[in-house]
Amino acid sequence: MASFFSTQLNEQIKGFLGRYETKRSSILPILHAIQDENDWISPEAVQALEAEHGLSVIDVNEVLSFYTMYRKAPPKPYRLEVCGSISCWLNGADKTISEAKQYIAQAEKSGKPIPFECHKVECLGVCGYAPVALVNKDRHLNVTPELARKLMDEYSKKELPAAAKKCAADLAARAAHK
Amino acid sequence: MPVMNSAYNGRQPNEFKVLTELEGIPNSRSLEVYKKHGGYAALEKILKGKMSQEEVINIVKASGLRGRGGAGFPTGMKWGFVPKGEGEKYLITNFDEGEPGTYKDRYIAELNAHMLIEGKLIAAYAIGASKSYIYLRGEFYDEIAWCEQAIKEAYAAGYLGDNVMGTGFKHHMDVYIGAGAYICGEETGLISSLEGKKGQPKLKPPFPAVKGYLGKPTIVNNVETLAVVPWIIRNGAEAYKKFGTEKSAGTKLFNISGPVVRPGCYELPLGYPLKRFIYEDCGGLIGGKKLKAVIPGGASAPVLTAAEVETMTMDYEAFAAAGSMLGSGAVIVIPEDVSMVEVLENLMHFFKDESCGQCTPCREGTGWLLKMSRGILQGEGQPGDEKKIAEVAGKMMGRTICTFSDAAAGPARSIPQKFAHEFLEYYKKKSSAHGQG
Repeated sequence: MASFFSTQLNEQIKGFLGRYETKRSSILPILHAIQDENDWISPEAVQALEAEHGLSVIDVNEVLSFYTMYRKAPPKPYRLEVCGSISCWLNGADKTISEAKQYIAQAEKSGKPIPFECHKVECLGVCGYAPVALVNKDRHLNVTPELARKLMDEYSKKELPAAAKKCAADLAARAAHK
Repeated sequence: MPVMNSAYNGRQPNEFKVLTELEGIPNSRSLEVYKKHGGYAALEKILKGKMSQEEVINIVKASGLRGRGGAGFPTGMKWGFVPKGEGEKYLITNFDEGEPGTYKDRYIAELNAHMLIEGKLIAAYAIGASKSYIYLRGEFYDEIAWCEQAIKEAYAAGYLGDNVMGTGFKHHMDVYIGAGAYICGEETGLISSLEGKKGQPKLKPPFPAVKGYLGKPTIVNNVETLAVVPWIIRNGAEAYKKFGTEKSAGTKLFNISGPVVRPGCYELPLGYPLKRFIYEDCGGLIGGKKLKAVIPGGASAPVLTAAEVETMTMDYEAFAAAGSMLGSGAVIVIPEDVSMVEVLENLMHFFKDESCGQCTPCREGTGWLLKMSRGILQGEGQPGDEKKIAEVAGKMMGRTICTFSDAAAGPARSIPQKFAHEFLEYYKKKSSAHGQG
């Protein structure tokens, strides 16, 4: 039977399974690896971890539901995550967040959607350069509403990340299958 | 009473470089630069000089070094709690930096992660651990890469492995990456997470030093605490104690945030005057605004008024005497035009979001505090609400497995108490909006 995971991902998973003192410790890093390749963690992936690698669904779901970095639904290709905790808030994070959300909504309305979603997150740990934001794994500092718009424009012009493409292809295949 | 108020007059912050020696040096992150500045000499001194574990612990005890993550527990004493003799022991670095306002540990990794690795090797030798982890928060993509690179270099250079520097000492090191949970910065929550579970704290005692990761003796130390250890071993406990106050020895990384002219991570001796730090070192508030309040040690630290800042010194004792804490050294500056009720609502949002949900007073209490402070902002408050908030917060203290609940209660008690008049203005707004007296 073909594996649910790619060859490369399976190698990574096996590496993590043998890396720590217990198999259970490998759950967090494995979920990171799955998300890095697929952009999210589907219920099917959780099932496959049990069927193919012996990690129980209940243990995996315990981790998946507790930690906020794991995406349990397919996301947009780019996530603008703006810190809204105290230091960033004092430096205008709320304005950055509301204007970024507005920008995304307007693009949608005008029929030219941009591949972005925007979330308020808690402290990102670089508080001196507030507001701080992440675009996927890239950190940006002093993110004013203007900079947020500029970032969204710039990333939108780039080729989509590999994980986003894979996510879209998987969803299309799933829709066709139904 | 702290006596260092005037002792630093006329001295510049760059005279206090212990952890930040490599600041401004090109290619500071490389192993080569680290070695040029005395890197791994402390480890060599211990291993090749055949110092005993006890000797190492005694130097750290004598230095007066206290945990830099927030709790301020004496480091050498903590190490001494690990049972002697054979058996697996673990050392874990808490690099889950997530206390709002705090960005000092990442600065250490940005300067040179080898400081941390050498400090970890020394601590591991002292407690007899052959395996250690660096637990990093998942959003620290660059910091993770810097630590991984430094570990790789340390293995290649023979500082890590089965036979460290040919001395027979064995130590292996790995990183472990979190996934977005503030509570994993609590040491037993961190251990739960490293075990592949929800990051929920465990009841103490037993303390991790006796029963920690996988039930084995485990020491969890903050990045800054461990990174300063090589300097202490190289220069001696007395040299370190020349900085700071009698009870708060040494230097500390202070990270300032909020609208100040020169934000950043500053190394200063403990006992340094807070007002001088804000106005002279950091250039005061942007636009010359007046100071309203300061949260001195990260979001969990009770707030200080501008009047209290006037005479405050930055050390464990002075902050505690004012009912607050040094915490992680995260100084959050609040200007005159920001409403303290809004500050409270923002902080309560954080604590509500990050409560792990294990204990009822915390899970429910943080929700109530958020609802009440939000209600006041939305004009639904009534006189006495500020007292009710402080009362609920008071009932959340000392009743839970970990101190998260107490941390949430800190600002929820201090803000209504010190800024009650600002709450009254919201109640008035409500009554005038409804056209009644």
